[in-house]
Amino acid sequence: MSAAGAIRAAGAAGRALPPPPHGLPRLIPPGAPLHLGEHIGRYGPVPFRDTGGRGDRHRSADLISEAERAGLAGRGGAGFPTGRKMRTVAEHGRRTGGLRGQAGTVVVANGAESEPASAKDRLLLTRAPHLVLDGIALAAEAVGATRGYLSVHEGQDELALQLTAMIGERDRYDQNRVPIRVVAVPRGYVASQETALISHLNGGAAKPAFVPPRPFQKGAHGRPTLVQNVETLAHLALIGRFGADWFRALGPAHAPAAGSALITVGGAVTRPGVYEIALGMPIGDLIQRAGGPSERPQAILAGGYFGGWLPYGMALDVPISGAALRSVGAALGPGVLILLPESACGLAETAWIAGYLAGQSAGQCGPCVNGLPALADMIGRLAFGRPDRRTYDWAQDLLGLVTRRGACHLPDGTASFVASSLRTFADELRQHSVAGPCARVRRRPVLPAPGHSWEALR
Amino acid sequence: MSAQILRVNPIACEAHGMCAELLPELIGEDPWGYPIVAAGPVPDELVPLARRAVAACPTLALLLADAD
Amino acid sequence: MTGLTAAVPAGPVPPSALVVTSSTPLWYTTRATGLVALVLLTLSMAFGLLSSVRYQRPAWPRFVTIGLHRNTTLLAVAFTILHVITTAADSFVSIPLQDAVIPFISSYRPLWVGLGAIAFDLMLALTVTSLLRTRMSYRSWRLVHWSAYLCWPVAVLHGLGTGTDTPVRWVLGLTIACVAVIAALTGWRLAYGWPQNAGARLAGALALVLALIAGGAWLVAGPLAPNWAHRSGTPAHVTTGSSTPNPGATGGSR
Repeated sequence: MSAAGAIRAAGAAGRALPPPPHGLPRLIPPGAPLHLGEHIGRYGPVPFRDTGGRGDRHRSADLISEAERAGLAGRGGAGFPTGRKMRTVAEHGRRTGGLRGQAGTVVVANGAESEPASAKDRLLLTRAPHLVLDGIALAAEAVGATRGYLSVHEGQDELALQLTAMIGERDRYDQNRVPIRVVAVPRGYVASQETALISHLNGGAAKPAFVPPRPFQKGAHGRPTLVQNVETLAHLALIGRFGADWFRALGPAHAPAAGSALITVGGAVTRPGVYEIALGMPIGDLIQRAGGPSERPQAILAGGYFGGWLPYGMALDVPISGAALRSVGAALGPGVLILLPESACGLAETAWIAGYLAGQSAGQCGPCVNGLPALADMIGRLAFGRPDRRTYDWAQDLLGLVTRRGACHLPDGTASFVASSLRTFADELRQHSVAGPCARVRRRPVLPAPGHSWEALR
Repeated sequence: MSAQILRVNPIACEAHGMCAELLPELIGEDPWGYPIVAAGPVPDELVPLARRAVAACPTLALLLADAD
Repeated sequence: MTGLTAAVPAGPVPPSALVVTSSTPLWYTTRATGLVALVLLTLSMAFGLLSSVRYQRPAWPRFVTIGLHRNTTLLAVAFTILHVITTAADSFVSIPLQDAVIPFISSYRPLWVGLGAIAFDLMLALTVTSLLRTRMSYRSWRLVHWSAYLCWPVAVLHGLGTGTDTPVRWVLGLTIACVAVIAALTGWRLAYGWPQNAGARLAGALALVLALIAGGAWLVAGPLAPNWAHRSGTPAHVTTGSSTPNPGATGGSR
């Protein structure tokens, strides 16, 4: 069905919504991506405030309250409550109002995922871009934004062109209401951090900035800015249509955060890929859905490189949610689970990634620029040399020395990742200190680290 | 009187080290010369010294802010 | 001062010499405050350079360096203002106050007094921006502060070119000592933190060496060579006019 036809049909149906998706998947339907007509046919047009109709309980005039009730949390890694963020941006916009009573705030959709092992944002932008764009439009209306941005990586020119064309088509059918521009962001672990993104939009380098002021106070073009991961906005697009109760129908009943989430499963699994799950699902169930381990498993890295290692057996029962994973020393992060097989050495993998992260420093803060390479060096010695008490103690000191002393969370995240490896691979550490590095340190790394040299490490 | 805390802007800081010299009660140095600031509010009797340390920083990296 | 002694000729003193004598205290003060301001400016620059190389000893913490830097700068400004006031008040030669802030408009050695005006303007800019440091962006402050590398040599050249005491041995020695100290500290500053910004550091070192050579050459061919008063633009009536008791061009002539 063409977009025009779909909108006519929606009008003829008295603006009543199509039925909400039942169960999973919610975000990414099977098959080819829906073009605009199909998208509107399946979900209805964007439920802006002035398009409400009868029998339409869920199309609340206040998307922010609905997002708060839904317990939607950011899916970019930090997990900040989305409703609260939107409310703060809207308030700051009103307080520092621009011309003609317009708040003049800005919405930035972050689709430039910098976690090497994560693939969900790219998948979302290629398979369900209209949901993301709906989310931008609805968020813009809710926070009083007068423009939007969608970030992709440099080098994703084809994707950028496709998205720009889609935005143009939506403009013709009044599905955006704010100008939305696709921007390319350099690749780099910290380049798509919130303040780095803003700095890049303002014409500067894609490097984190000192806060305050935070983006919700002063961001793109000096205006209060809402920065959200593209998956968060996709969820918002559905909450805006089907409501908070529908959203919470999946996920743990009384938990603060619920709904569905995209998880990238990788490493030694039979079917690596992106899976949409109900939050709260045990890790073991998801691994089964991904076909189970492809080799004998040893441990799981949960939450990406700012997350933590969990011993395999213990991890299976852990529910996939921010709170549960944090309570066992890991994290949800951008929804990344990587299985480490027994044929690999956890300490070597950690040293490998610690070196990668140290190289990803923006180079702005002394404790990071100095501390992370020193930390990577120490873990390298523990993994590839003969760990002694002094090296171990100095590594522990470094963990404390770098934490919370940078402008962004690179030092903190690296430190907690390394700390979890010293806990989870304590047995390996003992064996290495007695017998030297195991044979497994020589295999090619399981964890991805683009641009990082394996030979240089050893 | 609202409590005040000391913060370092790690991007502006260039490890000149004057803050640690002027306020050793609250500011120490890491192995590379960068300041480690004690957490918590600045005791009232040290606030004038804290202000002096803030003024002394060549890159204005040390900040005295209301605890919020 | 030796200069003034030579200005009084042997033999009968014309009545107009009294005019010269009555302006002498101001003239002394101008030269004295000028020299003191130069020494203080040199100290200020030196402490600034020491601060940038993070000089430190157990009994000399870094906040001492920065404190001395700030205080000597304020003193240098005070002495420079005094220097400007006594110059303007001195009726022997007309150098009004505006000549001290607007470069090259003076009728007396316009280029060399003009350099003094430039140095004075820069000193004011440096001082005012530093006093208002917390109210401006750090980048702007830093940009203005770089002009210190221009201000100090210009002040030195002003002193050598305008100053009537340049050939005097201890004055010359003092000036050369100031230059040596700053040159050495600047060399240290360029070497510190090597090899970051290697290109800029090498360019700076080259500029330093060339400046020293050029400065030395100019000194020998200029103020230390005969007839500098005339060549530097001293108005004719001062060197040979009726109101001066000193028709000669020996050291100490105005």
